[in-house]
Amino acid sequence: MEMELLLQFCINGLMLGMMYALVAVGFTLFFGVLDVIVFSHGDTVMIGSFSGLSMYWWVNAYYPAMPAAGTAFLVVLAAVSVVVLLGMGVADAVIVPLRKAPALNTLLATMMLGTVLRESIRLFFPDGSNPHPFPGLLPDWSWRSSQLTLRFDNLALFCSGALIIALVHFIINRTRLGLAIRAVAQDEEAAKLMGVNFRLVVLATFAMGAGVAAFAGVMNGIYYNEITFGVGLLLGAIGFSAAVIGGLGNVFGAILGGFIFAFLQTIGAVAMPFAAAYKDVFAFGVVIALLAWRPTGLIAEPASKRV
Amino acid sequence: MDESLLFDNIHVAYDKADVLSGVSMEVRPRTITCLLGANGAGKSTLIRALFGLTPPRRGSIIFNETDITGLPTHRIVGMGIACIPEGRRIFPKMTVHENLLMGAYQERSQAKIRSTLDRVYTLFPRLAERRSQLAGTMSGGEQAMVSVGRGLMHEPRLIVIDEPSLGLSPALVNENFRIIRRICEEGVAVFLVEQNVRQTLAISSYGYVLSQGKVVASGTAESLKNDVQVQKAYFG
Repeated sequence: MEMELLLQFCINGLMLGMMYALVAVGFTLFFGVLDVIVFSHGDTVMIGSFSGLSMYWWVNAYYPAMPAAGTAFLVVLAAVSVVVLLGMGVADAVIVPLRKAPALNTLLATMMLGTVLRESIRLFFPDGSNPHPFPGLLPDWSWRSSQLTLRFDNLALFCSGALIIALVHFIINRTRLGLAIRAVAQDEEAAKLMGVNFRLVVLATFAMGAGVAAFAGVMNGIYYNEITFGVGLLLGAIGFSAAVIGGLGNVFGAILGGFIFAFLQTIGAVAMPFAAAYKDVFAFGVVIALLAWRPTGLIAEPASKRV
Repeated sequence: MDESLLFDNIHVAYDKADVLSGVSMEVRPRTITCLLGANGAGKSTLIRALFGLTPPRRGSIIFNETDITGLPTHRIVGMGIACIPEGRRIFPKMTVHENLLMGAYQERSQAKIRSTLDRVYTLFPRLAERRSQLAGTMSGGEQAMVSVGRGLMHEPRLIVIDEPSLGLSPALVNENFRIIRRICEEGVAVFLVEQNVRQTLAISSYGYVLSQGKVVASGTAESLKNDVQVQKAYFG
């Protein structure tokens, strides 16, 4: 196989990895702070895509002369604001009230919520049951050679994703809010006794995880040029797997997990060109094997310490 | 203004079984008031009720002439009540420095945080040496210092200290009692929950004895030293 084709696979893998990492960060944040798995998180990503698309339609209808950068900004803004509000709403209406209930109830509630989100888009979004083309948003400059295409929009998305992850890292490790988030994650009651407003910290955490997911939603739309109401199911499963491979509760683990999953998919596609459609089967299969080998994730602390 | 803490006829129940039934007591400003009692007497439950972690079923808690019964924990802490919780409850994956910052979480003035930090580091030079160490990797005695220092960072008017001697060597226990006395001398009211009867009564001015969810004896520390109820509360 030629070098350039391999390089092309790598670039695609990095793009996917960044997208998965952004989704996985949400899973790991929610688990770290509240010990809950929010299964609707993947569908939150999908809501991000559709909010962005709606904004694009609106801009096209009323301000067709808007420059591309302005449109892209508005699309991301719409996706992030809708999804942040949704995330905080979910936290306040579902997660916090179920704090004292068995973990299984929260799990069930968030799974149901995911279905509600999916079905709402399918039923109420115009022509929601069919795939919608997603605009490129960014200028389609690219650098081509015989086999390799380096697209400017991919590069821009990758860098923005990295910037967002750096921002999350900065908030968690260098700000007062981050201090409170870590305190709640390590000992909820002790954090309260230090004067932390628990509800506010939970809302902020969900806002942050959801905002990052919204960006992943826009990224997903641009990358595949198409979105459907069901896209959150697979993205959710992948993001969750990525977070678990890395070790739930660990932000770096989630990022690592995201790239590992994308890498596995790429390997699957490269090594089995005759059966590229099975790349997800291959990737999830390896995830299962990884978990059998390291049940608490690749860089998590041993289970005995997580009391 | 009367900065006393008053418990008035507190009832607390877990799953309908009363753990505290009709507890009333008073913690006066600028004094050390102690709460004695054997394991399971309801001491920790009273502290949880005070901080709104397990709100009382009946009765009221007044601090500084304000009813704080059942308020969210952060609002109660915001009234100027700090807690050095049972079992230290330090944040293991934070540095010593970050743990101390958590104690001053509600303080917005950086200058004030810095000056309080200096005071705590002067009181515990050991913590200054280890400021960047993860608190979870320290020895039990050092973790106790972190917990006490964190409580002081709040600059409280009342500090609740729950079982500070638990798991410490006799030398460290003495050191702890010396520090508690010093906190009180600086004008902070101390509500001390302890099992170590002799040393606790030696530094307290007033005390209560809890047994099976009720106050069975109370009075000046001097009078409690010879009280039969105190002996009975511990030895049955």
